[in-house]
Amino acid sequence: MELADATALSRARSGDADAFRLLVERHAKAIFRVAYRMTGNEHDADDVVQETLLRAWRQMGGFEERANFSTWIHRIAVNCSLDLLRSRSRHEKNLMSTTNNDDDDPPNELASGDPQPDRLLLSRELQEHVGAAMQSLSGNERTAFVLRHFEGMPVEEIGRTLGIQVNAAKHTIFRAVRKLRASLEPLVRTNPPCST
Amino acid sequence: MQHLNEEQLVAHYYRDDDALAEANEHLASCAACAAEFDALTRVLALVKDAPVPERGDDYGEQVWTRLRWRLGAPSRRKQWQWLAVAAVMMMGLCTGVVWNGRHAPKQESIARVTQPVPAPDAGRIAGGTPNQRVLVVVVSDHLEASERMLTDVSNADPTKNFDAEAQQLRAAELVASNRIYRQTALQHGDERIASLLSDLEPILVELAHAGKTLRPDELASIQKRIESKGLLFKVRVMTAQTGGGDRVPAAPAANSL
Repeated sequence: MELADATALSRARSGDADAFRLLVERHAKAIFRVAYRMTGNEHDADDVVQETLLRAWRQMGGFEERANFSTWIHRIAVNCSLDLLRSRSRHEKNLMSTTNNDDDDPPNELASGDPQPDRLLLSRELQEHVGAAMQSLSGNERTAFVLRHFEGMPVEEIGRTLGIQVNAAKHTIFRAVRKLRASLEPLVRTNPPCST
Repeated sequence: MQHLNEEQLVAHYYRDDDALAEANEHLASCAACAAEFDALTRVLALVKDAPVPERGDDYGEQVWTRLRWRLGAPSRRKQWQWLAVAAVMMMGLCTGVVWNGRHAPKQESIARVTQPVPAPDAGRIAGGTPNQRVLVVVVSDHLEASERMLTDVSNADPTKNFDAEAQQLRAAELVASNRIYRQTALQHGDERIASLLSDLEPILVELAHAGKTLRPDELASIQKRIESKGLLFKVRVMTAQTGGGDRVPAAPAANSL
C-alpha cells in the first residue's frame, strides 16, 4: 500500500531519509514543471528541483502538519526559482538583447491553410517565440504570471509570495500579460492584415 | 458600461475583476471589446500550450541519486537518542576510569598519559579501544547533523534575513551532545576530535541562542567564522574518516551552493 504524503512526511521529519526519498520520487516531476515554467531552461529547472528538495529537507522542522506538502514544496520551488531569476537578471537582459537582435524579421503569422511541414515548422517557431516572450519578463512578472496562469494561485497569495500588495501583484500580472501580448499577438491573428 | 480597458480585460480573463457580471454583459454586447478579449484569450492559450520538456518515470530516482549525498547519510536517530547513547557511554567510561585507577599500576598509567598521540588518520580513528570505537560511531552521527546545519548556514544568502527558527532547536540539542562528546574525546586523549568539537561549539551555541531571524550582518559574521576556520571542510573530513558518510569530502569552497 502506498504511503500517504502525510505519513512519509512525518517519518522524514524524524530523520527517515527513505521516507523523504518517497516524497522526492513522488513530487520531483511536478516541481520540475513549475521550475521550468519559471526559469524557461531545462538545466536551471533541474537545479531548482535539487535546491528545492534540499531546502525542504532542511526546513522540514518548520513545516506545519496541517499544511499540504505539495503546496508547501511548490512554494519552496517558486522561491528557489525566483532567487535564481533575480540572481541572473543581468544575464537575462543580455539574453533578451541577443534574442531581439536575432529577431529582426517579424514573426510569421499562423495561417490556418498552411501545409503540414510548414505548420510543424511554425509550431517550433511558435514555441521559440513563446520562450523568448517569457524570457523578456522580469523575475517578478514571470513569477506572478506563472503562478496565476499555470498554477491558478490567487492574487493575494501571489502578493504574499512576492512580498508585495495585492494591487501591485495584480498590476504585475497585467504587465506580464501586456508584454506577452505585444510579442505574441501577431502570431495568433486570425485575419491577415489588409494589404490595400 | 464603458469599454473595458486592457487591465480590466486581463482581470476578467482570470476572473479577478470586481464586477464580473457587468463585464460579461458588456462583452456580450460590444464587438470591439469582445474582439480584444478574444485576442487576449488566444495569446494566453498559446502560452499555456507551450510544452514542458518531458522527464522520464525514473526522474524522481535520478533526482534522489544526486540529492542523497547532499543530505548526508540517512540518520534515523533523534538527537535525544544520541544523548542517551552518549550518557551511557560516559557512564561506561567513568566506570572504566575508576576501575583503571584502582587496578592499574601507577607507573603504567603515567606512561599511558605521557605516550605521544599517534598521527591522526582514518585507520587510527576507526581502530582504538572499544570505547573509542563507540565514541567514533556516536560522534559520526553528531558530525553529520552538524555538517547539515553548517552547510545550511554557509549557503544562506548573506544579503537577506535568515530564518533561524528551524535551526534553533537542533542547534541547542547539538550543543548539549557536543559538550559530552568533547569531554569524552578529551578523556580519551583523542585530541583531533576534541579540537574539532571545540571549534564547532561556539558556532552551535550562537545558533542556539540566535533570535528567530538572523540579520544579514549577523549571518555574514557567522558565515565568516565558519569559513575562516575551515570548519565545514574539517567536519566533512572527520565525518568521512569516522565512517559517517560514503562520500569523499569536497575541497573547501566558499559559499558553494
